[in-house]
Amino acid sequence: MAAEDVRYRQSTQYRLWSFSPVQLASTREQTNALARSNISERLLSNPPPPPPAASLKPPPATGASDATSGSNTPDPHAAAQQHQQQQAEQPYTLPEFLTPAEELQLLNYYTVELLRAANHFNLRSPMLASAAVFLRRFYATNSVMTYPPAEMLKTCLFFGCKAEGYYPNNEQFAQQFPKTKGEGILAGEFLLCQGIRFAFDVKHPFRGLEGAVLELRRYGDVDSTRINDASNRAKEILRFSPLVTDAYFHYTPSQIMLAALSLADQDLADRVLHETFHRHPQTEQKSNKSSNSSTSASTSEQRAALISSEVRARVAEAVNACRDLLAKEPPERLTSYWDTPESNNIIKPLLKKLRKCRDPDRFNLVELQKAKREEALRREEAEEKRAAGGGDKKTVEADGSVFGEALGGAGGGRGGEGRDVKRRKTEGKGGDPFGGPLG
Amino acid sequence: MSASPLVAYPKDALKPERPDSSKPTASPLKRPISTAPPSSDGTPRPAVQTQPVRPRAKKDLAEQMNDEEKHKWVKGKKLGEGTYANVFAAHLRSDPSQKAAIKKIKVQQAFKDGMAPDALREIKHLQELNHPNIVRLISVFSSKDQNLNLVLEYLPLGDLEDLIKNIDTYRYSHADIKAWMGMLCRGVWWCHENFVLHRDIKPNNILIAANGEAKLADFGLARSFSDPGLPMSSQVITIWYRPPELLLGAKHYSGAVDIWSVGCVFAELVVRAPFLPGGNESEQLGLICKLIGTPTEDNWPKVTTLGNYAAVGAEVHPVTPREGYMARFSAVGADGVDLLMKTLTLDPKKRITARGMLDHKWFRSEPRPTSNENLPRQRSGGVEKMAADLKRVNPMEDDKDGRGAKVARKLDFGAMKK
Repeated sequence: MAAEDVRYRQSTQYRLWSFSPVQLASTREQTNALARSNISERLLSNPPPPPPAASLKPPPATGASDATSGSNTPDPHAAAQQHQQQQAEQPYTLPEFLTPAEELQLLNYYTVELLRAANHFNLRSPMLASAAVFLRRFYATNSVMTYPPAEMLKTCLFFGCKAEGYYPNNEQFAQQFPKTKGEGILAGEFLLCQGIRFAFDVKHPFRGLEGAVLELRRYGDVDSTRINDASNRAKEILRFSPLVTDAYFHYTPSQIMLAALSLADQDLADRVLHETFHRHPQTEQKSNKSSNSSTSASTSEQRAALISSEVRARVAEAVNACRDLLAKEPPERLTSYWDTPESNNIIKPLLKKLRKCRDPDRFNLVELQKAKREEALRREEAEEKRAAGGGDKKTVEADGSVFGEALGGAGGGRGGEGRDVKRRKTEGKGGDPFGGPLG
Repeated sequence: MSASPLVAYPKDALKPERPDSSKPTASPLKRPISTAPPSSDGTPRPAVQTQPVRPRAKKDLAEQMNDEEKHKWVKGKKLGEGTYANVFAAHLRSDPSQKAAIKKIKVQQAFKDGMAPDALREIKHLQELNHPNIVRLISVFSSKDQNLNLVLEYLPLGDLEDLIKNIDTYRYSHADIKAWMGMLCRGVWWCHENFVLHRDIKPNNILIAANGEAKLADFGLARSFSDPGLPMSSQVITIWYRPPELLLGAKHYSGAVDIWSVGCVFAELVVRAPFLPGGNESEQLGLICKLIGTPTEDNWPKVTTLGNYAAVGAEVHPVTPREGYMARFSAVGADGVDLLMKTLTLDPKKRITARGMLDHKWFRSEPRPTSNENLPRQRSGGVEKMAADLKRVNPMEDDKDGRGAKVARKLDFGAMKK
């Protein structure tokens, strides 16, 4: 195997974020199923007030904040009221949830929104692309119903810039969006980092394209305006098509680059492949000779030729498959498709559906972040208390940590924090460490 | 290196077993995830709040994956506490003999723009760099209180700075220096091979593992190679180890900046004192002119076009000849001195590369480098030192004796746009 391939396989992009289509689909199904069951649970244990009034509140941002802060704070009055209402009226019925396919459609929609914003800010390609990849990775293991994609896309853009080495001021960054505060952008940052499994380095095909252009020029017999045209078109494709599809999950940057190049100019892409594999048997043979002298020259030559043609066929197959995938979302869709009435007919109902079935506790990132911060502070205090307790309280301390460990590991959502916190919960009426509805 | 199209189609790329399990890579798909049906009976909540009888909501996939990572480790006692991070001893749950250090990064109040650049850079690059001479980032997970936890290799034998400084305690030889330099060069070579600039190489960022191996640590200032035309900050690298092009304000530079630092570390290993200990930037530049030579159009074409060239001053010192170095550094022999001079070349274009260093004849001439197990090593206090080194990262923090405290981390955050 070629040395570059070995290297690529050490990257987080390969180790953590490459899947077959089947694997990715099943991950998305699991994510969707978990979100359904969790949201159902939360809605049932603390149903929102009856619909007519609520459904009249259209804007997602403010609507979400109302809904969640209401259910997040353990206000006994509100709870009692709800309880009464509930008993007086019909039993609460769960909303209809998004299907995995619908989630994916919304994800595509929001990815395009992200790219539009990025184009509007004139972001450089790696930043734009990293942001889009972060969004898609995040929503592979988190549901669109759990965390708000309209907010997360801003966080992704912000973090994409940071991951590519530029550190915008978050307030100024927020001002570029309507109705957005810095706080809102930061609220999702940690969540995003966790969701992308702390893999901040994304390998993009842009530099690969530059390399292929240099290769083509080196051949000496290819018309340079033709190369330029192909390169420009391929660049345009790379800034859209692989980012709105699952190309990054299934293909390597070089495969994506070759696919884009072949969309721009099939012959040039074929030429690059041909030149590469045309030369390949010789290098293969040479390395075989030096490393394994027992093999006779003729067999290693044959073997090399065989491997080479087999590998070449597989590479061509991968590039073709990737090209077909990219062709589904040509760059023109950025402006023509997503703005049209027919696309609105698809997206608008989905957005409406989402508004009804989203997670009551988690859709408001700012509130969620606040609650988590407060919880963390509380735990720190508790820890200090315990630490200050000194010698004879050793056993108590140990017990505490045992509980902490066990609960945390076994997966109580926000549960794993000793008894101290629980006691405190009744004292302050700020953020509920358990997140209202579950308590 | 051209991008190879040889990586196979995903079905092969996703074999469930990964032979190279150097880093834990739990696939989200290996675990069956039970998806209990929602309790859809719609039973109204009992009025009296009973204690946690109701089963808790299951975690989202992302949270489950994070917990799985977290659960692999048992956190032990606190080894050190800093304003930037706390460091804990830790071991694998499944195999307590496998030790690690957990660096728990605190939420930085001072940095208002979310995750601090230091932490982001360190995670970004260490996640990708896997090499025996680079500190290994084994895992990253978040704890409930939204702190980042980096599981790092356990390096209990302190750092190179201790070995250099404690002249009475440690004695080391030409062969020992060669061994350490070899490891440092390999670490730097791997960074550059992966298009990463370290930008803060100095003795206390070179940690020593239990087996004596030296490892490059602290990637808080690292960055990927820039695309042509995109400016980088010249305010990087601790000042004593900062190359002349950065002192002169170069915004477009290469791996040569790290090589200069390596040269300074090399010199320091030999004389057992910092080679160019300038008090501020202009003093640093003055020292370079005096001890190595004044940059001029002759020895460094176009140097006068750099922003701060005026700071060089009128007095011109000739470039120090070989004899000048031999007088001070003869302990590493003529070949060693040759390598040192090539790392401390004024013009970054003529400076030796990491690859070139590894190919240098010094490493092949006598004496052979000492094997790791025979290298001088710390007998005590190494763990504390590791904790101090790991938690430091943010150099604005105290640095007990002021050594290397003068790094400037004012970075140029402009140029976000095209």
